Amino acid sequence: MGALFILRRGFGIMKENGPAHLLSIGTIAVAFFLFASFLLLPLNFASVLEAWEKKVQIILYLKDGIGEERIPPLTKELRMIAGISEVRYISQRAAKESFERDLAGYGGVLKGLKEGIFPASFEITVQERFRTPERIRTLAARLDTIKEVEEVQYGGVWLERLSLILYTLRWGVWVLGGVLVAIIVSVTANTVRLTLYNKRGEIEILKLVGATDAFVKLPFYLEGGLQGLVGAGGSILLLLILFHLFSCKVAPYLSFYFGQLRLSFLPPHMIAWILGIGVAAGLLGGLFSLRKAGGI
Amino acid sequence: MHEGTASSHPGLNAGGSMIQFFRVYKTYPGNIRALANISFKIEQGEFVFVTGPSGAGKTTLLKLIIRAERPDQGEIVVNKRNVARLRHSQIPALRREIGFVFQDFKLLNHKSVYDNIALVLRAVGHNKREIPKRVRQVLRVVGLEDWVLKQLPLKLSGGEQQRVAIARALLNTPAIILADEPTGNLDPDLTMEIMDLLEKVNALGTTVVVATHNTGLVAQYNKRTIPLYRGRVAA
Repeated sequence: MGALFILRRGFGIMKENGPAHLLSIGTIAVAFFLFASFLLLPLNFASVLEAWEKKVQIILYLKDGIGEERIPPLTKELRMIAGISEVRYISQRAAKESFERDLAGYGGVLKGLKEGIFPASFEITVQERFRTPERIRTLAARLDTIKEVEEVQYGGVWLERLSLILYTLRWGVWVLGGVLVAIIVSVTANTVRLTLYNKRGEIEILKLVGATDAFVKLPFYLEGGLQGLVGAGGSILLLLILFHLFSCKVAPYLSFYFGQLRLSFLPPHMIAWILGIGVAAGLLGGLFSLRKAGGI
Repeated sequence: MHEGTASSHPGLNAGGSMIQFFRVYKTYPGNIRALANISFKIEQGEFVFVTGPSGAGKTTLLKLIIRAERPDQGEIVVNKRNVARLRHSQIPALRREIGFVFQDFKLLNHKSVYDNIALVLRAVGHNKREIPKRVRQVLRVVGLEDWVLKQLPLKLSGGEQQRVAIARALLNTPAIILADEPTGNLDPDLTMEIMDLLEKVNALGTTVVVATHNTGLVAQYNKRTIPLYRGRVAA
């Protein structure tokens, strides 16, 4: 039994039932387009979060009246804490100077501000592996227990919100993926069933003359698998075109609001997975319809 | 007893027999009895009519021979194979030893005569290069010429279509030809032509079983008959 003949028969079957297959491939492509778009979102969102995480600093505002002699032992104590890579002391004077520098254009307004209203602080840089919302929160809680510390700031609320959205998106993708795979299996199964119905005469004859199960069934599996592959491939192509348009035409405007956006398309392994899921869902659809057809 | 080989059942002696039924019963869902206590032997090279009115069980009997149906009870041996106990994977091998001819020809009307026949050869794994030669060879056996090869079946007469169907049945050089009402759709002249052709095939050594309700046809040929009536062999 020639593989080439089976392949030709598979394509022949698809050609004979052309409109139904086109409709089926279109539906699969739409389903995969949604799935791939939802994969793309957290992927780019994650890179934004990653960039933001790199900038994360913890600021420890010190209580009033902490003497300068406490700063070196406190600095040493902070450097000993796991997760801290750099500790920089900002005195009250340095804080006032920094404030004045930042608001230099408002010169007159700043006149008369006293050094005492700016609290001394430590700017703490966190080691890379500690730059996750959970670890930063834990570290901040620990730093808050130091008796000289008045307040700890780390922008944790935003970081946690972003992480939560990302987490929801990541899980949402798999839930959505599951639903879409079920849709794809059902669409493929119905198209293959329609083909089976149209080809029942040929199948009956093939079975009667002693064709093996593989010879009779393989073209239908092939039909399902090809539908899944072409549908998934088409969705990726469509997404790539839209992604390219978005990157060229829309992203430059968005960078005014969100800073330089570093957008990335689905990596090759993810594309391979989508194509693989397409083929597997199509094969499963073929399998279901052949099972339902029973006698075949 | 080995699966798929002839039974050593005391009632069975597959020796020179091509087809042997021993106390075969078949009931369809809904308690519709199709065959009951059927026993007979058909020898190698024999030409046999299975006769009876519609609903007598003729088609069921043929279906049991090719394992399109399974008996509820009893043993069936076809060309030394215990059909009732064949594994699913062994069915294609059994069917390659049997050619089947239908009343309604069962040709694929959207494919040419050549493709109708070649499809079968491809399905059973014939060498691609030998297919055109084998198609022409088998067409000559049934008395058709090369011009029909490119025709669609519906462009041919009923008799020609049935000849194509017989050609298709002969492709695997089967040991047995089963024909289910092969002349049911044909006029008397074409009926004679097709029966003569089946006799010719039989003369080449193939066992032929023709199921028919046409008693007039049976009377014209001096052949053994297995008469069925309401699922039993009529006395």
